[in-house]
Amino acid sequence: MSGVVTGCGVVSAAGDSVADVLTAIRAGAAVRADVRDRFAEPLPEVEAPAIADFDVRGLLGRKGTSFLDRATALAMVACGRALADGELTPDDDNRHRIGVVLGTTTGSLKSTMDFSRETLVQEKPYLVNPVLFPNTVMNCAAGQAAIRHGLRGVNATVAGGPLAFLYALRYALNAIRRGYADALLVGGVEEYTPNTAWAARLTDAGPAGEASAVYLLRRRGAEATGARAEVLSVATGFAPDDADAGLAGCARRALATAGVRAADVWALAGDDGDGLRDAVPATAERLPVRPALGDCQAAAGALAFGALLARYAEEPASAGRPALVTGRSRDGGVAAAVVRGWAGGGDDHR
Amino acid sequence: MHRVVVTGLGPVSGIGIGVDEFTDGLRRGRSAAAPITSFDASGFPHRYAGEVPAFRPAEVLRRVRVEQWGRSALLAAAAARLAATDAGLPLPLADPGRAGAVIGTTSGESTVVEQLVADLVAGGYPSMSVDSLRQAPAERLAYAVSAELGLAGESVTLTTACSASNYAIGYAYDLLHTGEADVMVAGGADSVCRWAHAGFFRLGALTERQCRPFDRDRSGILTGEGGAALVLETLDHAVARGARIYAEVLGHGLNCDAHHMVAPNEDSIAACMRLALDNAGIKPVDVDYVSTHGTGTPANDLCEARAIRAVFGDRVPPVSSIKSMLGHTMGAASGFGAIATTLAIRHGFLPPTINWANPDPELPWIDPVPNVARPATVRVAQNNGFAFGGNNAITIFGAIR
Repeated sequence: MSGVVTGCGVVSAAGDSVADVLTAIRAGAAVRADVRDRFAEPLPEVEAPAIADFDVRGLLGRKGTSFLDRATALAMVACGRALADGELTPDDDNRHRIGVVLGTTTGSLKSTMDFSRETLVQEKPYLVNPVLFPNTVMNCAAGQAAIRHGLRGVNATVAGGPLAFLYALRYALNAIRRGYADALLVGGVEEYTPNTAWAARLTDAGPAGEASAVYLLRRRGAEATGARAEVLSVATGFAPDDADAGLAGCARRALATAGVRAADVWALAGDDGDGLRDAVPATAERLPVRPALGDCQAAAGALAFGALLARYAEEPASAGRPALVTGRSRDGGVAAAVVRGWAGGGDDHR
Repeated sequence: MHRVVVTGLGPVSGIGIGVDEFTDGLRRGRSAAAPITSFDASGFPHRYAGEVPAFRPAEVLRRVRVEQWGRSALLAAAAARLAATDAGLPLPLADPGRAGAVIGTTSGESTVVEQLVADLVAGGYPSMSVDSLRQAPAERLAYAVSAELGLAGESVTLTTACSASNYAIGYAYDLLHTGEADVMVAGGADSVCRWAHAGFFRLGALTERQCRPFDRDRSGILTGEGGAALVLETLDHAVARGARIYAEVLGHGLNCDAHHMVAPNEDSIAACMRLALDNAGIKPVDVDYVSTHGTGTPANDLCEARAIRAVFGDRVPPVSSIKSMLGHTMGAASGFGAIATTLAIRHGFLPPTINWANPDPELPWIDPVPNVARPATVRVAQNNGFAFGGNNAITIFGAIR
């Protein structure tokens, strides 16, 4: 049994829809926002692929938003949009069967480092603000999203950096197959802060980006509104010695599980498709995220997935044809998902 | 569907490293509580924690190089190596793609992040260590396990705070149960760090020297650390290789409070227990022992005890909190609970709740196995794990039949 995507919620530097993400990816040029005045602390750059206007209070209201970190707020907004887009209203009859599975890298690195810094710079090491303590746990975004939207089902946070979304998708698919949930918000989130900007600069990861992209995944047959895509399978593995071979192996396993021939793959979303040169047709369309949106870490896979949904939406001839979403980390993690989409859902899902 | 069994245990804890020492520690009610040495705690009013001062990663690890990984990854990898050795797992495995790792954590590489903060305070962002930045991602906990044991299958870190090990065991169980893997190493790891110590202190949740769960005068947690790993296999795989089987994983349950980031919710925790029992195909009356989350805060223990009462009614089984011995090992906590539960089934004893002096008149139905381990036949046991964010996860283990 597979999962069906019936809604999406996107907050990105390219705009707030999967169509905007696709447009930016197709343009190929880095999306830029002026970040000079954004933080009191110095940044390694004056422009970055960061979200230009994100008004937390405008989007979430004043109540309960004062202490949210950016990653948490981005995730809460994207989760709300995915629910609305998928026309799923949590109520007392269904909320225990609706959950959240989010990908992360380290949680909010800024929240954790700021909190930790207080223990060093304050007069007493314990003079930290306890209200900010929950922001240092990596499941903060998923927990807050559940509180915000009243979702009492499976709630998980999966670490994986560039692979986080694919890990989350696999985790969610399992939960749906095993009957633990009827609907899950699955996505990835990453924030742009001085911490991530400098981390990306110092490790030569390219400019740090940020985004939150969340999809409503429902048990097949339980979907109330038009299905936009079906997630047929996700395979993951660990191949530190030969990531190309590992990724190709993952893709082959995912395709076999999905009952799909490699020759039928028409598109490849993600930044690591080159390793699959021999595994899928050379003509398969590539949808890389990084050149346009920077190093979005745990949100990268979710953006790639969104671009793919947008591509299906604008290309009726692609309906029902399988595509791959792939990811790879520098430590040797590899993952591939097989997706089949349709034009059905339209592409403006603000 | 495949039955799933536990064949190896790898505790790296303050009361013992390796299954024999750890079992002895549980039986004797040893305490890991001691003055903090991993950071300068002199400015804190409370300066005790459950550290693992005897941990020498190079003495345990065979494949991963110590200098390339953070402390939490090393705790995870060492726990996994010990568990694999205990299981007699023939490494490298014949089919490493059918074996993987699922590791839970609260704060990931917290000591690496604290090193970055020290760099930052000393010299600004540009002085952050590149090596530390590369070690910081939490996904590296599972990668360290996979690298140490040469596993090529799923390698995933679940960051669902203090119930994360139960999430990991539950997910590994599912992958084995459905036939997607033959062997999974599951558990969790976390390191004592300054920021968590400060955070819990400021929440008013930190006790001074002794954690005394379910005692009338309980006053909070002690932060702790460690690595906990279990080798899980399908029954067929274990039998085919002639493995010693400790216990069976019967099932698990997950839900979310969706109520408050730090305050537990009684109804939701009771609901999670029912989910876990249903998933395991058993009834409350079948449960002989509950390894509790049992943090020792007034709020947690009251809430957990009431939820237990709501589910078990007039037949509440004995419960105990090994956090009284280990401290709160965060993402590793329910992994240690799973190991203790497995040992309780295998060896027929209930681990004690140490430091216990007075019954709480608000919890008269609770038998906390006070202070001394108790001989008992444990056929089925429940292992509780709850977390910030309302992430509840419970695993159920049973004697092999």
